[in-house]
Amino acid sequence: MNRPAAPWLRLGWRNLGRNSRRTVLTAGGLALGYCSVVVMTGLGRGMVAEMIGNGTGVLSGQLQVHSRDYLPERSVHETIGGRDGADVEGLVEAVAADPAVIAAAPRVYGGGLVSGGDQTVAAGLIGIDPKREANVSLIMRTGEAGRHPSGEANELWIGQEMARQLSVEPGDELVVVAPAADGSLGNDLFTVVGVFRSGLAEIDGTIAFLPYQSLQRLIALSSDRVHEIAARIEDAWEAPAAQSRLVASLSVSFGGAKVEDWTAFQPEMVQYARLFESFEWVLLVIVFVLAVFGVANTMLMATFERRREFAVLRALGATPGVVLKSVLWESVVLGAASLALGAAVTLPLLVWWHEAPPDVSWLYGDFTMAGGLVRPVLRVEYPFGMMVFAAFALFVTAIGAALLPAVRAGRVRPADALQD
Amino acid sequence: MKQVTMEPSETAATAVSGAPAVRTDDVWKVFEHDGIVVEAVRGVSLAIEPRDFVVLAGPSGSGKTTLLNMIGGLTRATRGQIWIDGRDITDLPERELARWRLERVGFVFQAYNLLPVLTALENAEFTMLLRGIPEDERRKRVESLFAEIGIAGLEDRRPSKLSGGQQQRVAVARAVVGRPALVLADEPTANLDSQTSSELIDLMARLNQEHGTTFVFATHDTELMRRAQRFIRLVDGQVVEDERRR
Ligand SMILES: Nc1ncnc2c1ncn2[C@@H]1O[C@H](COP(=O)(O)OP(=O)(O)O)[C@@H](O)[C@H]1O
Ligand SMILES: [Mg+2]
Repeated sequence: MNRPAAPWLRLGWRNLGRNSRRTVLTAGGLALGYCSVVVMTGLGRGMVAEMIGNGTGVLSGQLQVHSRDYLPERSVHETIGGRDGADVEGLVEAVAADPAVIAAAPRVYGGGLVSGGDQTVAAGLIGIDPKREANVSLIMRTGEAGRHPSGEANELWIGQEMARQLSVEPGDELVVVAPAADGSLGNDLFTVVGVFRSGLAEIDGTIAFLPYQSLQRLIALSSDRVHEIAARIEDAWEAPAAQSRLVASLSVSFGGAKVEDWTAFQPEMVQYARLFESFEWVLLVIVFVLAVFGVANTMLMATFERRREFAVLRALGATPGVVLKSVLWESVVLGAASLALGAAVTLPLLVWWHEAPPDVSWLYGDFTMAGGLVRPVLRVEYPFGMMVFAAFALFVTAIGAALLPAVRAGRVRPADALQD
Repeated sequence: MKQVTMEPSETAATAVSGAPAVRTDDVWKVFEHDGIVVEAVRGVSLAIEPRDFVVLAGPSGSGKTTLLNMIGGLTRATRGQIWIDGRDITDLPERELARWRLERVGFVFQAYNLLPVLTALENAEFTMLLRGIPEDERRKRVESLFAEIGIAGLEDRRPSKLSGGQQQRVAVARAVVGRPALVLADEPTANLDSQTSSELIDLMARLNQEHGTTFVFATHDTELMRRAQRFIRLVDGQVVEDERRR
């Protein structure tokens, strides 16, 4: 039998219009469910993206290149290319050439004691190329006083807590003593040119930045020996792909180098992201399971009131299946209307929120989460997959909730219900 | 009332079979609720010929509605057998029974029972929609029938915007438009004033005459009783009078 859907959709639409208040409430509930799942997911992804962006962006970068044996011991000898060193410029350029990489910078690591007057503290020494580093690490933006080190001079840029412990400020001089690669003890005089404050206690109290050439001199490494190339990638989730590409491209001219992205050297953040993703599904299930009961309740009321009409349909010759389907079609229309409403509310909200994340620093100051410096903004990412999936869940909910009422409608016995 | 020649197609279904429109053989209906047993219909045997205009009369509670419902396949008989248009519907499965109603039986109810969200035209064409008849043909048939029964121009009105008499005309259109073997009408005039019900009876008598549609009424309406070609009186679920009048 040829039974096109259009008349049934029309009938469903008109029946929904009969009790428009109830329909609007039900559709509103479904739309709200859709909106809350999508927006919460977007917020969760925003938080995760923010956390990963900062956790990787402050210092580590989203991608690093080392000598194969550098990690985890971080031996001062394990420079890229071994004792022969490497073409540092060429390597930085090669890494920066990847389409996902925004900037790359070389680094030399050392450790030693920093003294000023009668105070001495242990410090991690990070030798950087200040110009390039500024494009790689967010920490370079956290200067509190003074300026970045420049060129190859003996200049130090130290954390605020270290500056407090040593009672120094920009312009003061410090003595740095560090074990060198040749077994001697390097020592030299440095000028503090700036103080930074990342808000991360373990960095602000223990890290000192200096031009990498000055650190190479201090610890007796030749100018072509660096420990690390760090790279910045805007979308952290593109890092694994960039890593694969660089493994292939670097293997030709820089055979001993090992390329890793943040998912390898900060796996806890991947775990964290996965945890958030599982919350999305929990939320989806909770919201739509609740919605099923709400919709089922209204559909039961709506169909109970229309028992007599179902009886008329049956008397005229509609089979129980046709009556059942007419109720299901109605719920399809309800689902479509709810989705339209939900999308009409959700999409502008998402776009607005994504474009102008509200500053909530008034709510709490800077705070740290999983090693990341989280900005006090409520950032929202577009959860495209979830937008589609939640739409699907909304339809499943609307139709699932209508099943029982539909079966009941199909079971209405014509003679009984037609009795006055 | 003018007599017109019928198109052969209009009556083919009943004429060819040669069977009675309805036949019942010792039909009983016994209701039982919480141990209280009501014998609503007690052993009714009838044959109603095609093109007949039959009135079932009798006091309230005499079993008229129950008998009509059994004939129309809305309720199953407790005992006995029923044929419609030559087919035994007594043990027909639910789906087939629905299909049979759809194609062979029209209903008119006391309370009109139009679907409130459908327009007059959509109500009238509804069974044809269920039968999968194309939209063009449905419209054509409903529009010409509406013109014939005096409600042309009301096609797009919802039932709430129609008078009782107009609603019942739409209901009659819905019942006859599919050219059923039989139209069952339970107290069709009970909600109408005498003028309006008289016009409705005229209309149904004309459809009976001109299209050969078989009508079976359950009614208290004296005018409708007067117009019957065959008059059957039920008392306590049994036929006590069965008279052919013309
Ligand atoms: N569904 C039912 N359950 C129980 N008793 C019923 C039912 N339908 C009808 N009856 C009873 O059957 C008898 C006949 O009813 P009905 O066929 O409606 O009579 P009428 O239409 O002639 O007024 C009445 O006594 C009525 O109470
Ligand atoms: Mg009755």
